[in-house]
Amino acid sequence: MNFLERTLEGFLNAMEHALSAEALAKAPGLLQRIDPRVKVAGILTLIVAAAAAHRLWVIAAVFGIALLLGVASRVSPLLLAKRVWIPVLLFTGVIVLPAPLVVPGRAIARLPGLGWPLSAQGLASAEYLVARVMTAATLSVLMIVSTPWTRVMKALRVLRVPMVVVVILGMAYRYIFLLLESSRDMLESRRSRMVGALKGSDQRRIAAASAGVLIAKTLQLSGDVYSAMLARGFAGEVAMLEDFHAAARDWLALAGFASVAAAAFYFGL
Amino acid sequence: MGCVGIPSSKSPTRWGGRWLGYNETLYVPQWIQKSWQKADMHIPDGYLSPTTCAILYGSAAPFWYSSLQRLKKRLTARLVPLLAVMAALSFVIMMFNLPLPGGTTGHAVGVGIATILLGPWASILAISIALGIQAVFFGDGGLTTLGANCFNMAIVGSLVAYAVYRLAAGRAALTSPRRVVAAALAGYVAINASALCAAVEFGIQPMFFKDASGAPLYAPYPLKIAVPAMMIGHLTFAGLAELVLSAGVVAYFQRTNPVLLRQTASANLAAGPGAASGESVWHALRPLWVALALLMVLTPLGILAAGTAWGEWNAGDFATAQGREMMATASQHAAPPAAPPRGLERLSTLWTAPFPQYAPSFVRHPALGYALSAMFGSGAILLVSFAAGSLVRRARGKNHELS
Amino acid sequence: MNFEFPILNPTASVFQVREVTFRYHQVTALDGLSLSVRPGTRVALMGANGSGKSTLLRLLDGLAFPESGAIDFCGEPLTEERLQNSQFAHSFRRRVGLVFQNPDIQLFCPTVFDEVAFGPLQLHWPKEKVRAAVENMLEVMRVAHLRDRSPHHLSTGEKKRVTLASVLVLDPEVLLLDEPTAALDPRSASQMIDFLIGLHGGPKTVITTTHDLDIVEDVADECFVFQSGRVVASGTPMEILSQAPLLERTNLIHAHRHIHSTGETHSHPHLHGHKH
Repeated sequence: MNFLERTLEGFLNAMEHALSAEALAKAPGLLQRIDPRVKVAGILTLIVAAAAAHRLWVIAAVFGIALLLGVASRVSPLLLAKRVWIPVLLFTGVIVLPAPLVVPGRAIARLPGLGWPLSAQGLASAEYLVARVMTAATLSVLMIVSTPWTRVMKALRVLRVPMVVVVILGMAYRYIFLLLESSRDMLESRRSRMVGALKGSDQRRIAAASAGVLIAKTLQLSGDVYSAMLARGFAGEVAMLEDFHAAARDWLALAGFASVAAAAFYFGL
Repeated sequence: MGCVGIPSSKSPTRWGGRWLGYNETLYVPQWIQKSWQKADMHIPDGYLSPTTCAILYGSAAPFWYSSLQRLKKRLTARLVPLLAVMAALSFVIMMFNLPLPGGTTGHAVGVGIATILLGPWASILAISIALGIQAVFFGDGGLTTLGANCFNMAIVGSLVAYAVYRLAAGRAALTSPRRVVAAALAGYVAINASALCAAVEFGIQPMFFKDASGAPLYAPYPLKIAVPAMMIGHLTFAGLAELVLSAGVVAYFQRTNPVLLRQTASANLAAGPGAASGESVWHALRPLWVALALLMVLTPLGILAAGTAWGEWNAGDFATAQGREMMATASQHAAPPAAPPRGLERLSTLWTAPFPQYAPSFVRHPALGYALSAMFGSGAILLVSFAAGSLVRRARGKNHELS
Repeated sequence: MNFEFPILNPTASVFQVREVTFRYHQVTALDGLSLSVRPGTRVALMGANGSGKSTLLRLLDGLAFPESGAIDFCGEPLTEERLQNSQFAHSFRRRVGLVFQNPDIQLFCPTVFDEVAFGPLQLHWPKEKVRAAVENMLEVMRVAHLRDRSPHHLSTGEKKRVTLASVLVLDPEVLLLDEPTAALDPRSASQMIDFLIGLHGGPKTVITTTHDLDIVEDVADECFVFQSGRVVASGTPMEILSQAPLLERTNLIHAHRHIHSTGETHSHPHLHGHKH
């Protein structure tokens, strides 16, 4: 069944995605060695800087810095291309294609054949959008592949995210994989029992039933996890052990991020 | 990495357009098709200005806070495992490829089903957490735009789904088919409401954020393009996906475990005629009030629409050069007649509105005028509805006594 | 503050279960069940699936409460109201530890280290003490190399060891184990048994549920056999295991057709025995 297979494909991709991120996070690269709190704050600031800039060259400069960081952290450009650049070009790139035709402004060329004017402003807006999306997406991927997800979660505390939210995030992420596995098992067994093409309404019924089974199991799971938490003394208060230690290298990195961001804001606005 | 033929729908390629990438019998490598399908409504970084992002984070925050407080009170310690597991579920559901009428497939956010099973507040938080995980760890949706995505999908989506579901399902029994229809409607309307919010957010970017040369800095298309472009894709595919999921899962639970649908069913179900107590009506409709309040606050957006709505001119506009220009622009440059139509002229003095141009005379700022007019207008309608409703109830009550 | 409720009567049972009835989703899981567990003993609750033994374990750990009847812990009643008192709950949770059958519901923290640290953190131990206790326990259970792993990257055997670690780190007096060797391959199961046999200086009282007759002799000195929510027999493992009719009646052994090496095929009740 098409939709079953596509769903299973999607599951597989998600699991691979997570696995590869965890593998890269152990590589001996530049970003991997920096304290996660500095990374989270620093990269987020750079993303905001790229989002706020009013000048294309500033965005390009931040992108360049991102590329350098990537190379220094042993992240292969091929991975970045496959995961970030190509999808961005295919989605955002396609969306902005009509921009030079639609956005009003000074005409700089005409479409051959139809003669419709292409505006400079439209072209510029397309460049802005693609550049921004590329830069931001590259930066956020760099953050994820250079840090184990558990440390990224805990580092969110530096952004004043409440402790209970961080705990819930961690638990949710962990259980995503359990649910993916059990959904995969369920869908694979459904698929193996299906012979031939089914009517659309039957397909929908099967999809809805699969979702329903998953939901029912998950509601049960939440009750079980609650019991398990109670059994270990949980009474509503959340607590976490954080073991972040900032070394000189981290302060240096923080200074680096801060100065790049400051420059980007200064020249960009 | 094989190639898949994108199933061709019976309707022409106009439907869906580039946003969803559906083309008739176009063979496209799978990894390309995935980029198109996954994108859905998750707004990436760079489409919205930092100001817009900040405003939307600010708008989302009170809902997050209030939902958390509400759930803490109701669930206490159970809150943590429930929300965590529900967020994980929401994430996985968003990955389901759903078969749609017409032979295509699509993804749903699950906001309809989450709201119906868990209630709007848990749905807001569970979906927000799932969106957060998608944005941070899987690159689906931007980090600066996370507030916007949560506002559109989790918050507006849940509240609209709840309001529509409660209204449409009424007090039908848990296993009645009316609930399936209500669920379908709730999912469909909710996802389109989310899409509309996103479309508006996109559409106002070129209005406010341009560089020195006038080039839009963020999403480049104005409202009149952004809204139709977003809505077409969602009124068709994404809306259908949500509809199919909501209806299908509710029907499934009606067969297997109806008690799970109790969360959002009113206290007295199918209990026959007789008004629900005033308090429970208020409680049930509270998200509707919130939604209404939201809409009232957002009415000043109307100011952004250039010109006047087509046809909303008065007799005087035919005489002034400015008025004539407005009419011409709105009518694809067809020149308006020299004099107003006779009927218009005759009737135009019949009634003078208390708030002409939506601006009471004492209010200077047009935005405030819009908002006040919205409140006054909604308030008037509500008063009349309540009055009519209580009159009807009283009449019915009398009938019951007599019979 | 660590406030310990004193054991009022040192010779009283650790658990005294009196005529307990418990229903779950219209199914009667426990039907007027009574038993008592003396301190310092190792007890096995035996029975087929659905006989009520896992349910009883949950009741003993205060995660559910009987509809009728009563459960006493160290001479004092174990009720929902008492567990709402945070001091009592605090003390109880430290003294009694439960290892669930399904490790995935019990591994809810992002890493193994976090998981083992969860219990101590909930009991407000100082952070340094938590760190030290966790490191030590990871060494003892031989899972120190897994400290930064996420639960979904662990094998079933590793998961079970981690769940055991996360409970033992609190040094409980009573250990409740729900099917500790279920779903384990023989090698992991035997490792688990080795460990449980060698638990010195740890929990004084151990209550294990199992339907695996092979391990009963190794983990228990006293057995209770469950059927349909009641105790139908009790005694030492030797006594119970020698009563084939009882075992067959309670679905602990089976009679199925099998082939002897001589080629003869028949069926009779049997235990899949072990060689010494």
